[in-house]
Amino acid sequence: MREDHEEFLRATMGAMELVYNLARKFADRQEDAEDLVQETYLAAYRAWRDERRPRRVEPWIATICLNLGRSRYRNRLRRPSEVSIEEREVQAPRSADPERAAVAAMDRQALYEAMWRLPDGQRVAITLVDLAGFSTAEAARAMRTPRGTVLSRLHRGRRGLAVLLWDDVREVEER
Amino acid sequence: MKLWLRMRRHDPERNSAEYVSGELSARARRWFEHHLLDCEDCWREVLLGRFGRRVAEDAHEPVPLGLRDRVRAAVLLSSTDPPSGAVG
Repeated sequence: MREDHEEFLRATMGAMELVYNLARKFADRQEDAEDLVQETYLAAYRAWRDERRPRRVEPWIATICLNLGRSRYRNRLRRPSEVSIEEREVQAPRSADPERAAVAAMDRQALYEAMWRLPDGQRVAITLVDLAGFSTAEAARAMRTPRGTVLSRLHRGRRGLAVLLWDDVREVEER
Repeated sequence: MKLWLRMRRHDPERNSAEYVSGELSARARRWFEHHLLDCEDCWREVLLGRFGRRVAEDAHEPVPLGLRDRVRAAVLLSSTDPPSGAVG
């Protein structure tokens, strides 16, 4: 029994950053995200003990977190955007390679708040693909949605972040 | 249908998402990069998508101190429970 849980922890603890960031996309309070992470690991461990072991840990545990997050936060009131991101006009960045340093120097809080202004589906797609490094096919399986939908959510989410934060980046660049 | 053939359908959103995610085959990428030279809509979507991706990568939060220990302890505690399939 002891070996069982040690083997589980060895296999899964490396995925905690992914699970935590995914949980944060459901829960805006850090404590709630931590609870969701713990719940995810316990559910994963139960499956592990029942010999339902994955070939790849990350997509498996991310899917467990997604399912728990969905059921826990299904009825949550969604935060309305003050301005529709889809409709807002934005001037495209002048360069194909905006300064990474400018992005890095941005206020972290502004980044997190911008993420929260995206619809849930876009936020989750971005977390799986851009933060966790899933392919869009893997994200589609985890999100139980067609790959085309993931591509659309991914692009709209990225575009939304660009629209919301582009002015902030220019401000940093001009300092 | 081959991806690069499907991309000939003008869909700036989907094409940009695949391009920025690095999921195009070499042939599809060459075709799309050639197309970008002439298509303002796709070029604009690629720039926004690329910038958004960079921002998203930066919006990564570190695991709070103590969470790993808390999870380890919770798993350890539950390891003494009977497996869910056990009859008890």
